[in-house]
Amino acid sequence: MSLVTEVVVPRYGIAWYPWAVQYFFLIALSYTSLWVAAPGIILGKQSWLNTSRLALLACVSTTLVAPVALLADLHQPLRFWHFYAHPTPWSWMSIGSFLLPLHLVCTVLLAWLAWRPALKARSQANDSWFSRIAGWIAWGNWQVSRKVMVLVGLAALATSLGMMIYTGAEVAIVKGRPLWHTAWLPPMFVATGAIGVCGLILFLNRLSGMRNADTNRQMLGIMAGACVVAGFIALTWFLDGANAVSGSVAAALDSVDQSSAWRTTAIEGGTAGVLLAVLAFLVRRAPGRRKAFGWILGLLALHVAWMFRWVVLMNVQTVARNSAGFHDYEIALGSYGLTGVIGIFGLWLTALLLIELFVPWREASLDPRRDAPAPADHSSATDAPASSASASADSQGVRHG
Amino acid sequence: MDPIRRSLLGQLARLSAGAAMVPWSSVASAGINDQPARREGDPTKRYGMLIDLRQCIGCQACTVSCHIENDAPLGNFRTIVSQFEVEEENTGEVATFMLPRLCNHCDNPPCVPVCPVQATYQRQDGIVVVDNDRCVGCAYCVNACPYDARFINEKTQTADKCTFCAHRLEAGLLPACVESCVGGARMIGNMRDPDSEISRMMEKHRDELMVLQPEKGTVPQVFYLGMDERFTQRPEAEPGIWDVINEAGKELGYEFGH
Ligand code: SF4
Ligand code: SF4
Repeated sequence: MSLVTEVVVPRYGIAWYPWAVQYFFLIALSYTSLWVAAPGIILGKQSWLNTSRLALLACVSTTLVAPVALLADLHQPLRFWHFYAHPTPWSWMSIGSFLLPLHLVCTVLLAWLAWRPALKARSQANDSWFSRIAGWIAWGNWQVSRKVMVLVGLAALATSLGMMIYTGAEVAIVKGRPLWHTAWLPPMFVATGAIGVCGLILFLNRLSGMRNADTNRQMLGIMAGACVVAGFIALTWFLDGANAVSGSVAAALDSVDQSSAWRTTAIEGGTAGVLLAVLAFLVRRAPGRRKAFGWILGLLALHVAWMFRWVVLMNVQTVARNSAGFHDYEIALGSYGLTGVIGIFGLWLTALLLIELFVPWREASLDPRRDAPAPADHSSATDAPASSASASADSQGVRHG
Repeated sequence: MDPIRRSLLGQLARLSAGAAMVPWSSVASAGINDQPARREGDPTKRYGMLIDLRQCIGCQACTVSCHIENDAPLGNFRTIVSQFEVEEENTGEVATFMLPRLCNHCDNPPCVPVCPVQATYQRQDGIVVVDNDRCVGCAYCVNACPYDARFINEKTQTADKCTFCAHRLEAGLLPACVESCVGGARMIGNMRDPDSEISRMMEKHRDELMVLQPEKGTVPQVFYLGMDERFTQRPEAEPGIWDVINEAGKELGYEFGH
C-alpha cells in the first residue's frame, strides 16, 4: 500500500456551458409538448383539445428559443453555417443540426395552420392593430384541408422522434465521460422531459387563466405515469451497473462516495423526484386538489426536469478524468453562466408573451371549417372563469363554468 | 459490496423488463459515430511517441517549450508533466512519480467521429489535427477525449490540442517537447519503418510498454516505458491543489498540498 498525493496537475475546465442545459431542457419540452399537442390538434380528439392548445403554445415557444441556446453554446456561433457546408452523417451533432431546422419548420408550420382560422376571425373583428396584425400573420384567406394538417402534424411527430433520439444519443455515446455513457440516459431524458412538459402545461393552464379541469386531470395522470417510468429507468440503470467495476453506475457511486457535493445532489435529486411522484399521485385523485395545487406541482416538475439536466450536463463535467478529486465549477455571472441562463428564460417568456399578444392560440383547431360550430364537449367543463382573452372561445364549444 | 449481493443485483437487472430496451441503443448507433476515412499526411508513415519514464526528471522543459512553440493560452497545456508524491506506507519512503501527458494520437480516436463539421480529423500518418478555420467551437471533441488532451483555446475560440508539432516534423525538425527534453525521455518516430529508433525500442520493450486507459478502446499511440500500472487510470490520490483566494476574492494561484 502506498499513499499518493497529486503535486502538479493542470486544472481542466468544463467544455459545455449552462447554455447546453438550457438547450437540452427546452428541446425536451419541445418534442414532448408536440406529443401532448397531437391528440387534440393532429388527431382531433375533442376531450384533449384544450390541453393540446396549451401544448402547442408550449411547443412553439420552446422550439423557437432552443436553437438560440444551442447557438450560444458554440464558441464560434457565426460559423454555424459550417454545419451545412460540411455535412457529417457519422456525427450525432451534425445529424442534429439537420434535424433541428426541420423540426422547427414542421412544428411552427403546424401551429400556424392550427392558429390561422382564429387569426382570420380576429382579423375580421374590429380590434384595430391586433386585427391588422392577425391578418398579416394569417397571410391570406385560404384554408388548407384537414388532410394537409394531419400530414404536417405527422411530419412534425416524425421530426420530434428524431430530436428525441439524437439528443439522447449525442450525450450517451461519449465514452470519455463514463457517467454519460449508458443506454439508460436517453430514456431518462425522455421521461424527465415528459415530467417537465406536464408541469409546464399545468402551469400555463393556470397562468393563462384557462384553468381547464380536464387539462389538470390529464397532465397529472401522465406526470404520475412518467414519474413511475423514470423511477423504473433509474432503478434498472442502477441494477444493470451495480455489478460492474467500471461504467456509469460505478462512476456515480464513486462520485457520491468521494464528494459531499455529490452526496447532497443525490439526496436532493432523489427527494425531489420521490416527492413529485407522491404528490402527483395524491393531487391527481381529487378535483379540488388538482385545481388548487396543480400549478404548484407543475413548477416542481419543471424544476426536476431542469435540475436533472443541470446535474447530468454540468456537474458530470466537474468529475475529473485524469486528476484526483473534483473540479470546482462556480457558475460564472457572465454570458457563459448565469446571465446566459436567465437570458434564455427571458427570451422564452418574451416568445410566450408575443404569442399571447398577437395570436389567439386558445382557439387553435384542426378543423378548418371554423365557422361551423364545433360540437360542444360536455366533458371538458372548466372549473374556473376563463380570462377575458378567451371570450371568443365560446363559439368553439368551450364552456366556461 | 460483497460478491453475493452483487450477483443478486445482476440477476435482478436481467429480470427487470426494462433491460429489453438495451438493444435499442445499438440499433440507434449503427453506422453512426464510426471512424471516417483518414485524409492528408504521408500514408507510408505512422507517427507514435515513446516516453521512457525512467529518464524523466519532471523538469517541465517540454511543457514550457511546447507552450512557447504553440502559443497556448495561460492555464491551458498541449502537454504537461503530472507529478505525484508516492509514500510507501510500510517504510515511509517517499518517491516522486512523473507522468508526461499529451494527445495520444489514438488509432481509434473518439474525438474524430463526433466532430460535426469534420474540423477534427486524422491524417494518414496517424496525427490527429484540428482545422481551426473550420472548427465551430462546439467542444464536443473536448468532452469526447477521455485524456483531457483537448481544450478550447480562448484566443482562437476553437479546439486546440497537441499536433506532434506536425509543422516541425514537416520541416524535418523534432517536436518542441522532444527537442527540449532534458532527460531524453521522449522519442518520436515512424512506427511503420522497422529500422526507426522508436520501432527498435518498441520491439525491445514490447512487454513492458503501457498506454493510458487501454480499456477505453481508443488504442493510444503514446507508449510509456517504466510505467506504474496504477497511473494508467485516473489516479487514486489525494487532490493536492486548490485555489488560493485573496481578501478581495481574487485568485492568487495554486498552492500545493504538501
Ligand atoms: S488523446 Fe484525445 S485528442 Fe488525442 S487522439 Fe486520443 S481522443 Fe483524440
Ligand atoms: S470543437 Fe471544433 S474540432 Fe471539436 S468537435 Fe467541435 S467543431 Fe469539431
